[in-house]
Amino acid sequence: SCHVLDLNEPIIDHAEGQLFLNEAFKILMEEVLCKGTDAKQKVCRYEEPEVLAKILDLELREAGEPHEKLLQRVRDVATYSVKTCHPRFFNQQFSGVDYHSLAGRFLSESLNTNLFTYEVAPVFVLMENEVLRALRFLVGWTEGDGLFCPGGSTSNMFAMNLARYQLYPDVKTKGLWSLPQLVLFTSPESHYSVKKGAAFLGIGTDNVILVDVDDGGHMIPEDLEEKIKSAIAQGAVPFLVSCTSGTTVQGAFDPLDRIADVCEKHNLWMHVDAAWGGSVLFSKQHRHLMKGVERANSVAWNPHKMLTAGLQCSVLLLQDTTNLLKKCHSAHASYLFQQDKFYDVDLDIGDKSLQCSRKVDCLKLWLMWKAVGSSGLAERVNKAFSNVRYLTEKMKKTEGFKILNEPEFVNLCFWYIPPSLRGKELNEDYQDRLAKVAPVIKERMMRQGSMMVGYQPLGNKVNFFRVTVFSPLVSTKDLDFFLDEIERLGRDL
Amino acid sequence: MLYLFMEDTEIPKLAPSDLCLDKPAVDMSSAEKFLERSMALILEEAVKRATNRSEKVCEWVSPQQLQQLLQLDLGDTGESEEELLQRCRDVIKYSVKTVHPRFFNQLFAGMEPYSMAASFIIEALKPSIYTYEVAPVFTLMEKVVLKKMIEVIGWEDGDGIFNAGGSLSNMYAINLARFHHCPDIKELGMSGSPRMVLFTSQDCHYSIAKAAAFLGIGTKNVYTVPCDERGKMIPSRLEELILKAKKEGAQPLMVNATAGTTVLGAFDPIEEIAYICEKYRLWLHVDACWGGAAILSKKHKHLVQGIHRANSVAWNPHKMMMVCLQCCAFVVRDQKHLLQRCYSSNARYLFQQDKFYDVSFDSGDKSIQCGRKPDAFKIWLLWKALGSSQLEQRVERALAMAQYLTQQMKARQGFRLLMEPEYANVCFWYVPPSLRNVPDGPEFWNKLHKVAPVIKERMMKRGSLMIGYQSHGDKANFFRMIIISPQVTTEDMDFVLDEIHSLGQDL
Repeated sequence: SCHVLDLNEPIIDHAEGQLFLNEAFKILMEEVLCKGTDAKQKVCRYEEPEVLAKILDLELREAGEPHEKLLQRVRDVATYSVKTCHPRFFNQQFSGVDYHSLAGRFLSESLNTNLFTYEVAPVFVLMENEVLRALRFLVGWTEGDGLFCPGGSTSNMFAMNLARYQLYPDVKTKGLWSLPQLVLFTSPESHYSVKKGAAFLGIGTDNVILVDVDDGGHMIPEDLEEKIKSAIAQGAVPFLVSCTSGTTVQGAFDPLDRIADVCEKHNLWMHVDAAWGGSVLFSKQHRHLMKGVERANSVAWNPHKMLTAGLQCSVLLLQDTTNLLKKCHSAHASYLFQQDKFYDVDLDIGDKSLQCSRKVDCLKLWLMWKAVGSSGLAERVNKAFSNVRYLTEKMKKTEGFKILNEPEFVNLCFWYIPPSLRGKELNEDYQDRLAKVAPVIKERMMRQGSMMVGYQPLGNKVNFFRVTVFSPLVSTKDLDFFLDEIERLGRDL
Repeated sequence: MLYLFMEDTEIPKLAPSDLCLDKPAVDMSSAEKFLERSMALILEEAVKRATNRSEKVCEWVSPQQLQQLLQLDLGDTGESEEELLQRCRDVIKYSVKTVHPRFFNQLFAGMEPYSMAASFIIEALKPSIYTYEVAPVFTLMEKVVLKKMIEVIGWEDGDGIFNAGGSLSNMYAINLARFHHCPDIKELGMSGSPRMVLFTSQDCHYSIAKAAAFLGIGTKNVYTVPCDERGKMIPSRLEELILKAKKEGAQPLMVNATAGTTVLGAFDPIEEIAYICEKYRLWLHVDACWGGAAILSKKHKHLVQGIHRANSVAWNPHKMMMVCLQCCAFVVRDQKHLLQRCYSSNARYLFQQDKFYDVSFDSGDKSIQCGRKPDAFKIWLLWKALGSSQLEQRVERALAMAQYLTQQMKARQGFRLLMEPEYANVCFWYVPPSLRNVPDGPEFWNKLHKVAPVIKERMMKRGSLMIGYQSHGDKANFFRMIIISPQVTTEDMDFVLDEIHSLGQDL
């Protein structure tokens, strides 16, 4: 039986809830957006996991807590989280902040809806359509299709699925059992989601054939041709080439025009993973790096990276106009995609995706674009390149810094060689000792909270730093600081 | 007009001074002011007004009109702050107010301020949860929430991850089952291996079919088990299908049991299904995306009895628990790093093994995603705010409200229930006066089929209410009321019945 008395009153007090939201907002303005973007404040406050767990009092209990306690928790979260907006956060391919996109993100959260049907998200269905059109235009397509995906990895996997479906539409119903062995081609410097995708889609990571790259990390089209021929000779069926515009570590741009030649010759789907590098298309000066992109079948592009739109903001763009995306993914769920609705049901775009619930990720980009215009976004891209050039030139003149390669993009990869190792390149243990330098400097910078930059090995190259410079909050002062700080942290090693 | 980039245009060279590298490119103080003004607007229009019953649930305009009103196209130059705030206002105005107390259209609804505050924090901090170094707080929080869910399900220990949707959780389950059964498939792929088959109810979520297609298994290899008249999978028919598959020479892999089906809100009999899975050594996955919350209520947890026998569970707090989208958990009863082994690719630029902290805290390689949002924080803050006791109260209230509506409906002319609800879905037909004396038969059902779509159109154009309708199997279009929000009262339930009648009585 139901207790009618209880059901007559709501058990949520909206006035209180709104007050909480207001207070929480003030905290995050102060702690995250003001302090978090201030060069004089720390980038991070590192604590060991066990210590942090105690400080945060993570346990979930039977009883709730009062507002004051919860607001303190909000403050703690802000204090101990890494300030990815900070001008000295150079660790990943996302950083900085754009306030218009941030407002767009708050708005998306508060409107809390899914993009599967027009009836539930009328504004955003139309908006997503426009944003995709504008991005396709930059690629060089006046028509086409596309989707926002929950990340570049998913975009790459969707492209893989589409390529497979186009070649063998029956795979959707019958599965891979009856098909010959499919193979795909990518470079060893491409993003790891290509391999994860191959495993997930049932193709198998062994069937991801790695094409040789040159010294700068660019796929070699002649080798691609060779490997395709070789695969065919062994009875496998090539179906996809996944090349990269802006590799993760070195920021290399594969030569798209020549790769397109090879793909056209062998009738292979060409996917360009431009998750990182795609934003160069905004810049007249730098879009030549992606020359030939319009010949691709699909492009993945993450505005949450270089354009600082905020996680998640990832698109998959397609040249196709035959509704391939929908045909490949649809399941025609009758409870959601009724055909007897009172509006044009083509606006119910949910069946193009493999997701059911799908967040609104277009508003953040749309609002930012409205705020600064494509010329404003182009300026940011150009500035990023100039910042990297500044840092590179300065680094070349500074003792103890050795660059891997002249940056093609906004990734600058280098070793810091402490005084004790300088001039000792020919020593037997040089590489081993050099490999230990970056991890120690990284630990020190994190414990002190002064800066964050990533390091990794690559091929036979031992640990080196990879600094990515693109946040609109960064200035030459921060770049000068960068060099000084690495030196300061590592010179005694 | 979008600027056209043409290949043969002279590309002007930019002098370094043009770009002013000495200063940040963003004017901080005006940016902060914009943020404050837009937040005030959001709290006023999208939160306060949107939860007010005297405001509309939606402001319907035709797509063509909306296109014009919003002025969506993206140009070369930026707009002023006033114009941008007006755009925010327009976006709010023409968006459906899913937080409104009379939004019953989907399996999510209502306004939950604690999880919303958590969402705002996540947006401001902008973390990605792949490594401890970049997201220390959120990494620990995700672990704690998953642990709590595992405890509540009744496993001694386990693993899990939050991901971008229940559909993805279901895909993870299928892929894990496949990897567990045959680890070589990760490298070798599937062509050449024996045909695998999945089993699920005919009323399961469509993501199972999508998953089968995506993972290369094929939709034809998803065998659907018939349901009884209450929408529950029939275990004996499941066993028949498993035997049939074996006879065909196929390899049964996994059974997907649904705890809370999308339309009827039915719960498959997990205990009996588990017995069959154990007998034939099949992976049992429970899609509890919608019904998982029942486990928090002592009164209603019997609905998911047997769930502790599952190998994996999908549970979406963004549904019944009203956490902001998205918040989807996938948990697996395993202590041998199955998730890690199945998904890892050991990318050396992200998951370096020589880090200065314990790298087992880097959870990113368990996921198919790289960048990933810390969705677990939203449910963590909510749980801290309410505690399990109040979360339980909310679930019980929602179900009690569904019972109230059911009783009211039975007492009223013109409303016909499909079946007694056992969860928060109340499915019914509205029979307008003109059809009330027509005997049950093809003529009656054909005419009734046309009623719901018209009422739906009218309610949306009036903006008073939003409820979903659909056909199901051979049943004519019926309404599906979903009751979630604790803001909803008996007055709202009475309103629903009055309003539907008001909108449809002339049909």
